[in-house]
Amino acid sequence: MNNRLKEKSSFLSGFFEKSKQNFIIVAALVVLVILFYVLNPNFLNEYNIISMAQSLAPYAILGLGVTFAIATGGIDLSIGTVCIASSVVAGKLYTDGILPLWGTVPVMIIIGASFGLINGLLIAKLKLPAFIATLGTMMVSRGLSAIIVNAPNVFYPTGTAFNRLFSNYNGFPSGILWVLAFMIICMYLMYKNKVGRYILSIGSNEEATRLSGINTDKYKIIAYVLTGIGAGLAAVFWSSSFVTVASATGNGMELDAIAGVYIGGTSAAGGIASVGGSVIGAAMLVVIRSGLNFVLAKYNVSVNSTYVTYVLTGVIVVFSVLIDILKNRKKK
Amino acid sequence: MKKTILKMTDISKSFSGVEALKNAALDLREGEVLALMGENGAGKSTLMKILTGIYPKDGGEVEVFGEKVNFKSVNDSQEKGIAIIHQELNMMKDLTVAQNIFIGREYMKLGVVIDDHKMQREAKKLLDYVGVDIPPSKRLGELTVGKQQMVEIAKAISHKAKLLVLDEPTAALTSVEVDELFRIMNELKVQGIGMIYISHRMDEIKRISDRVTVMRDGEYIGTVDTDKTDTEEIVRMMVGRVVYGDKKEKSNCPENAPTVLEVENLNVDDTVKNVSFNLKKGEILGFSGLMGAGRTEVARAIFGADKKTGGKIKIKGEYVEINSPEEAVKKGLCYISEDRKRYGLLLDKSVTDNSVLASIGDFVRFGFIDDTHAREEAEKTNKKLRTKTPSMSQIVRNLSGGNQQKVVVARWLIKNADIFIFDEPTRGIDIGAKSEMYELMEELVKNGKSIIMISSELAEIQRCSDRVIVMCEGRITGELPVKDATQENIMRFAMMR
Repeated sequence: MNNRLKEKSSFLSGFFEKSKQNFIIVAALVVLVILFYVLNPNFLNEYNIISMAQSLAPYAILGLGVTFAIATGGIDLSIGTVCIASSVVAGKLYTDGILPLWGTVPVMIIIGASFGLINGLLIAKLKLPAFIATLGTMMVSRGLSAIIVNAPNVFYPTGTAFNRLFSNYNGFPSGILWVLAFMIICMYLMYKNKVGRYILSIGSNEEATRLSGINTDKYKIIAYVLTGIGAGLAAVFWSSSFVTVASATGNGMELDAIAGVYIGGTSAAGGIASVGGSVIGAAMLVVIRSGLNFVLAKYNVSVNSTYVTYVLTGVIVVFSVLIDILKNRKKK
Repeated sequence: MKKTILKMTDISKSFSGVEALKNAALDLREGEVLALMGENGAGKSTLMKILTGIYPKDGGEVEVFGEKVNFKSVNDSQEKGIAIIHQELNMMKDLTVAQNIFIGREYMKLGVVIDDHKMQREAKKLLDYVGVDIPPSKRLGELTVGKQQMVEIAKAISHKAKLLVLDEPTAALTSVEVDELFRIMNELKVQGIGMIYISHRMDEIKRISDRVTVMRDGEYIGTVDTDKTDTEEIVRMMVGRVVYGDKKEKSNCPENAPTVLEVENLNVDDTVKNVSFNLKKGEILGFSGLMGAGRTEVARAIFGADKKTGGKIKIKGEYVEINSPEEAVKKGLCYISEDRKRYGLLLDKSVTDNSVLASIGDFVRFGFIDDTHAREEAEKTNKKLRTKTPSMSQIVRNLSGGNQQKVVVARWLIKNADIFIFDEPTRGIDIGAKSEMYELMEELVKNGKSIIMISSELAEIQRCSDRVIVMCEGRITGELPVKDATQENIMRFAMMR
């Protein structure tokens, strides 16, 4: 009887995944913020909060997208370079006067989705391992965009409505609202739409899903297209935050975003995905990067904070996945 | 009389409460070939796994060369001179013949560099000894299965094996390769090596073996001299009495029932050859045969899970094109695999998720999946099937085999499938739950569903089927109305080639 009562809920049940993992990483995030604040109270000054919120958007959106690829049991290494490629190619079309500024938005999304489609076809139809297929498109997207643009940088304007809408509205980090909106859309797709249900089923047991009469190839392709759209959207927020975007920037962006997804509780083996966790994981990375800057500066440690960030992020990724593995082992 | 080199007595073994072996026994003399026979699931493989130290035994005694042993690992048995040639070869296809033979004990130069040349020289000697002409530097994967088997025998001999277990070694061999294998076995006999030969093929057993030991339901039944017995006697020993449930005496399916499925000349590579049959509404059509007869391949091809190389399928009188499970499901077919964990279940998902997997689309309301409605439907159906689960959100990994099977059946009931293909419906299910499964199938046909039931258990075939089709080596070798489906008749068709 108790069980029945517990299971009774509205038809929206399951929209927000009921995951303890989420609670744990939110708690870890809060602890980190407090720790950095104690070590250097300046960390929570108004300017830095806005700056962190602003830089969250591209990473969080990359992470939301790639959550779908990872949920199938795959991976997409191309998201970082596809994001930069979308930004520089659209930026080039804009500076050459071919596209109006607003026109760059759909173009970036289309470029991202196209690369996602290519990845999906390679993986689902040609049965390439996801790691190799997306390693290939990662290199191709980086090289190809640099060749097309044929300039070290492209320029985006500042202070326009474009920047206000996607990056900073008179001091308010507008990107964060978009992140929340996309998070809710992704939650809908992942938990309340057939697409997500099938993607999670594929990640859980692809052959059993196929034998249940589901076109698994189609849904795998959709997962990579969604991931690609995430990369294209991330480009919008990247472009609105920076005056110049260089073809050579964004190195390792994909790895940061993927690390955030794993920290967030999405299983690398697929089948289990935490959409909210992906955003929190991205926030964790942003907080670590900024917090370390403040702490190292205050105590006059003459080490490049980027490297310390790598060390700390690496340790956190390994530990958060390890905890998950140990937990599962105990269950069996 | 020759010396006894192996004596196994009173061996017992259970797997999570299910008895696989009880009072199993075996003795092997030096320089002889002992055929070990029994139906699928009779316990032959389990007994051999105990002999080679893969499984520990629960009770009983094993005596090897007059010495009591208790093997804890394959290494233990190897040291005592026991080697097994598996049905599926256990070798590295990308390594050379010589590298495979000496894996784990490579010759070294200066202790750090692998001496491939010396390994090839030594391998050549071994292969010459066995009497086969295989270049030791060739990659194993480039050899035929038969030649690979010879390599495995050479490897066993290099381990100084005195006792060789061959588990269905001829399953994938051509008749020329079988001759070659038997020639080698005869040579090994002369050298005093004792061999246990597992096979279903009567003609081969007559040719190569000296004695035949028969097992049934995990028990030792008896041993006979090959030249003093015949097929009839062995088959009788293998099938024995009916173990559970009564044989159906007549078909429950009315003669004028409409045909729901017709298969015409189905071919799949060389595993299924010109298979034609039909299925009536409300009928349970049993597919019998030995392992590897091609029954699963027929089922998977009809369901679109594997590509067929020829043949047509008619459903309710109309030709249909089925190239994927998706299309098959749309036509009302479903396939319930014997390997639930690999091909049936999302092990880490809930009973509800598993039950509604095939019909999620039907639970979408205003663009949202209505999980409450889905759970209610899953609950209703699983209650009807008497699935024992603490709740609908229970992870299916934690359910018993029988209840897992019911969850898969629930999936297809919710999808409202018409034609059910059950592949070994009671594999891994304990006896009590088996009869429940049989009642469930009867319930299904009473409600107008039709069933194809693949089963390797003769008693199950007799208990459930309205009609029996027997396959052997990819062909249909016989069709029997249930009243004529005696175990002897079925076995005769199953071994017909």
